[in-house]
Amino acid sequence: MAMKSFDRRAFIKNAGISAAALPFLGNLDALAFSGKNIQKQRMVIFFSPNGVIPDSFWPNEDGENFLLKEILSPLEPFKKQTIVMNGVCDKVRGDGDNHMRGIGCLLTGIELLPGNVQGGSHTPAGWANGLSIDQEIKKHLQKSEATRTRFGSLELGVLVPDRADTWTRMSYSGANKPITPIDDPYQLFSKLYGQAKDKEVLGSVLDPVIADLKKITALVGKDDRKILEEHTGFVREMEKELRGLKVSQGHAMPKLDPGIREENDNLPKISRMQLDLLHNSLVADFNRIATFQFTNSVGGARMKWLGIEEGHHQLSHEPDTNKVAVEKLVKINKWFCEEIAYFAKKLKDTPEPNGQGSMLDNTLLVWTNELGKGNSHTLDNIPFVMVGGNLGWKAGRSLKFPRIAHNRLLMAMAHGFGHNISSFGNPEYCKDGPLVLS
Amino acid sequence: MNFSRYDHFWLGLKITFFLLISFQFGRVQGAPNGKKIYETKCLSCHGLNGEGVKGKYNKPLSGDLTPNQLAKIIEETMPKEDPGSLSEADALAVSAYIHEGFYSSIARERNRPARIELSRLTVRQYRNSMMDLVGSFRPNAVPSDKTKGLRGEYFKTRNFNKGDLAESRIDAEVDFDFKEESPIPGKMEPGEFTLRWTGAIHAPETGYYEFVIHASHAVRLWVNDKNTPLIDAWVKSGKDTEYKGSIYLISGHSYSLRLEFTKAKQGVNDNKKPKVVQPAFVKLLWKKPGGPVEICPGEYLSTLAPPEMFVCSTPFPPDDGSLGWERGSTVSKEWDQATTEGALEAAKYITSKLPEFTKVKDGDPLFLEKTEEFLKKFASRAFRRNLQGAESEFIKKVLKEFKDPQDGALRVLVWILKSPNFLYRNEGQGGALASQLSYILWDSIPDQQLLDAEASGKLKNVEGLNREIDRMLLDSRAQEKIRVFFHDILLLNQTHELNKDASRFPGFDSKLESDLRISLDKSIEEVFWEKDSSYQRLFLEQGLFMNERIAKFYQQNTKSKTGFEKVSLDAGQRAGIVTHPYMLSMLSYSAESSPIHRGVFLARSLLGVSLKPPPEAAAPLAASLHPSLTTRERVALQTKGGACMTCHATINSLGFTLERFDAVGRLREKDNSKLIDSSGWYVARDGKKIAIENAQGLGQYLASSPDAHRAFAEQMFHHLLKQPTRAYGAETLEQLTRYFEKNSLNMRKLAGEMARMACTEKTGVKLQEVGKQP
Repeated sequence: MAMKSFDRRAFIKNAGISAAALPFLGNLDALAFSGKNIQKQRMVIFFSPNGVIPDSFWPNEDGENFLLKEILSPLEPFKKQTIVMNGVCDKVRGDGDNHMRGIGCLLTGIELLPGNVQGGSHTPAGWANGLSIDQEIKKHLQKSEATRTRFGSLELGVLVPDRADTWTRMSYSGANKPITPIDDPYQLFSKLYGQAKDKEVLGSVLDPVIADLKKITALVGKDDRKILEEHTGFVREMEKELRGLKVSQGHAMPKLDPGIREENDNLPKISRMQLDLLHNSLVADFNRIATFQFTNSVGGARMKWLGIEEGHHQLSHEPDTNKVAVEKLVKINKWFCEEIAYFAKKLKDTPEPNGQGSMLDNTLLVWTNELGKGNSHTLDNIPFVMVGGNLGWKAGRSLKFPRIAHNRLLMAMAHGFGHNISSFGNPEYCKDGPLVLS
Repeated sequence: MNFSRYDHFWLGLKITFFLLISFQFGRVQGAPNGKKIYETKCLSCHGLNGEGVKGKYNKPLSGDLTPNQLAKIIEETMPKEDPGSLSEADALAVSAYIHEGFYSSIARERNRPARIELSRLTVRQYRNSMMDLVGSFRPNAVPSDKTKGLRGEYFKTRNFNKGDLAESRIDAEVDFDFKEESPIPGKMEPGEFTLRWTGAIHAPETGYYEFVIHASHAVRLWVNDKNTPLIDAWVKSGKDTEYKGSIYLISGHSYSLRLEFTKAKQGVNDNKKPKVVQPAFVKLLWKKPGGPVEICPGEYLSTLAPPEMFVCSTPFPPDDGSLGWERGSTVSKEWDQATTEGALEAAKYITSKLPEFTKVKDGDPLFLEKTEEFLKKFASRAFRRNLQGAESEFIKKVLKEFKDPQDGALRVLVWILKSPNFLYRNEGQGGALASQLSYILWDSIPDQQLLDAEASGKLKNVEGLNREIDRMLLDSRAQEKIRVFFHDILLLNQTHELNKDASRFPGFDSKLESDLRISLDKSIEEVFWEKDSSYQRLFLEQGLFMNERIAKFYQQNTKSKTGFEKVSLDAGQRAGIVTHPYMLSMLSYSAESSPIHRGVFLARSLLGVSLKPPPEAAAPLAASLHPSLTTRERVALQTKGGACMTCHATINSLGFTLERFDAVGRLREKDNSKLIDSSGWYVARDGKKIAIENAQGLGQYLASSPDAHRAFAEQMFHHLLKQPTRAYGAETLEQLTRYFEKNSLNMRKLAGEMARMACTEKTGVKLQEVGKQP
């Protein structure tokens, strides 16, 4: 807590903002340069755990004429803006079991370091040995004034367990530097709107403070009035400064329902709170990049609201012959897809601020998973479904690749943002260059 | 003597020592006496203090000319009946007298009658008050077990299960290299084990502390916050073995600490697999503000179990220290902003923990009611008095406005912490005595017991008052206040690195320096907090607290490996804190002693002599330029000029008495191959000249000197009350000095007497009208 406020201060200092305005800065919108003449590009990567049910997920067809299967059916309204990519494989090997590598190498494309986290099989491992693609692109965007935003990126989650290990971290700011996702909507709120709220709180207490100063001034002798009068002057100055700084995030502060606890049954509620806040943040251009992690690798959400009592991970181990389990897993995965469709709709319904089309036209939503299939723990055919976006990719397609390394897709994302890196993660898997998706 | 140099003299003048100035002037022999000239030639028209004389010259003498400019005008135009009759030297002397006495703006400010000024909390008081305010709603630390070191628990497996505990013991420090062995052979295996150390860490300074762990395997460390680790390397990943974390801590408090180390894996248990035994080590280090990275000293570790503390880390502009002590008599925009940030920091911390403070869960039907109750209590403790009706109403009203009690609470808390009722020591509105006492002795808010004592009228009778003062003096907050007071007078707050010449003094490094500071603190603590709290012993004590490193450097033997013990050093030749190696090293150059630094310290800080900055900036003569001279000879050579001798006569003759100690405080017989002359002298305020033969003679003189007693009393007063002594009456300082001397120079009694004085009937009347002229 201490270091946080310290950092903010350092940031403001570096940005050259007068210390006088310090506690009252709105949301630094003056710093959120909006790159007026360039169409914005954004990307949000969604993660859900435990693989999918291939038969209910992958379209049979290849190309522009394809049918969405049960799990992907919520994306029907956005089908023309959707790409389903089959045949993309996480080929990174090394230490750690498939769950650990499934989440740890997913966005980093590089091996895990040797460590002390022991999975159900294979050798123990630690953190990934490199940064993740969301952070790579964020750094690229933050370098240029035209694309720099207040946060650059947000790392969000829903019911991520309160422990830091290889199974709970997806984003990395560097080798051995996992980023803790924010999974508490109230914490996210104060990250986004804390300063604006401080301002509101302060504004509401200045009158009683001035009244107190007046009362005491009346009680003390002439000589001591000076210090109190001087003090009152500063408080009045602050009042003026507060009035001078208009509410600046471009929209009213959202209101959160109080007291939603982080517990399994609140998952749907928290998911929507997080998605709504993320939507607000993108509208305000606080960030262009985000990751959104449902639970964790091996996540065991119990989706009672779908009539499912068992935990997700437990179900994912059931053999294909257990039809009841397969049905439940289809339901579970479809539920995740509905959340993404909800978010896609929100973006589609929001016209691009200061730009053309809807926000969805400029925001690439990526839905991915740690595994291809839950009961086999395969890292082949990792689900990658894209909706929307403005990376020059041709959408409305079902693509089937011949078992290509997922590093090439990660590179294509960077290239889509004009960041033409020659490799990402382990260069071994990058030899054939970025996937061409135009 | 060239008086034109006096125009630098007003700079940095210590106002409190004004009374000594004329006395100082009187000592210079053969120079024109400005005061005398003024009295004979100027007083009849300008009045005794330049206030003017009706019918002659009725305007006060005041302005912004420099002494030189003023002298020129005097030389050319004064006295009116005979202009030009004064010599240049006379004019300069009288100008200097006028300038310092009443002409300059500084002199006018100084001559204003002293009064008890309305003051805001100093930064130290603010941080302490915030911490105690929040802390008053939490259980106290259990003080019964103050064993030094940490509780170490050694587990055979990867679990912290009682059944797996192989041994529980006290470890003085965490500095272990087990190699490929078991920590406790026979009781646990070397391949897999888990260790935990718990207790508290005491912060000797306020500021950012960097904790550093060196460990071969997984570790995590909690400091103060018991939920979120400061360092989390529980996932061992890659080859790193060093982990760091910073935290802001406030001095004088102990914070809970927990360190865990495991050789085992997490996740799926693999303890059945055969193991290749890897070497293991774990070390807990820190870097305290201004200190070196060192093994976290056992001296600061204890088995206490303190609750979490609220630490306000908002940076504040420093307090006005121009009078020699921190005081809160000015405000600035930066300060006002810092109080805003501080209020927000605290208010957010508290609202995030409302269920803890209200003792009901969020969502409980009683939550709103309990929140209101808590806020009222909080406001009353922050304002150090009972709430007024309108204030209670306000809290109720704000809470009602919001659906979520946390939103309302946030606003109420920010109001409380921004209110002048909290920020100022306005002790006129009831709650006066308790608040007075607690800020005098603790630099913080009164505790419940003190507030109760006041409410029941116990502070109004001497017995009740004395009982509370005695109790308060035993509290750790009083100990901290006294510690800081000594740091102030010993100039320790201004010193951080000693930097000694490595070729002359191999082994004198930042770690030794840090140990010596602890040793000095221990010396002071021991003397001050023993029953007779003897001021004399400060200067007569012969023993020195040493740990292994200090003993090795000063070539002594100690039994203890990690702790400190008192060892006699150079029996009969030392003089307590004055000859403590840290003080002597601090008052030295990197290779040579500095009689000037030592003399200035003795004169100013211990004898209360007012010294002005040198009229000319002068670099010390390099020893290499005068290879045949001793330090004493070199200093005498450099300062032999008449202008220098005004002050250096006093400075050198005091500083020379410590010449038998080199730049790191070791005893020596010779300097530059010549036998050392450590003789000196001092002219006391009563005019007596005292010959001092050596350090021991100096110690004996300081122990018995009325000048030193008076200087000590005055500085303690400033430090405790943060007001000039004269604000409590012209005789206050003399009365206190007499009390001190009559009571066997018992320092603790003196502190108590000062607190008592502020609360007696006589001053109590004044307190009712704090801020008005006494």
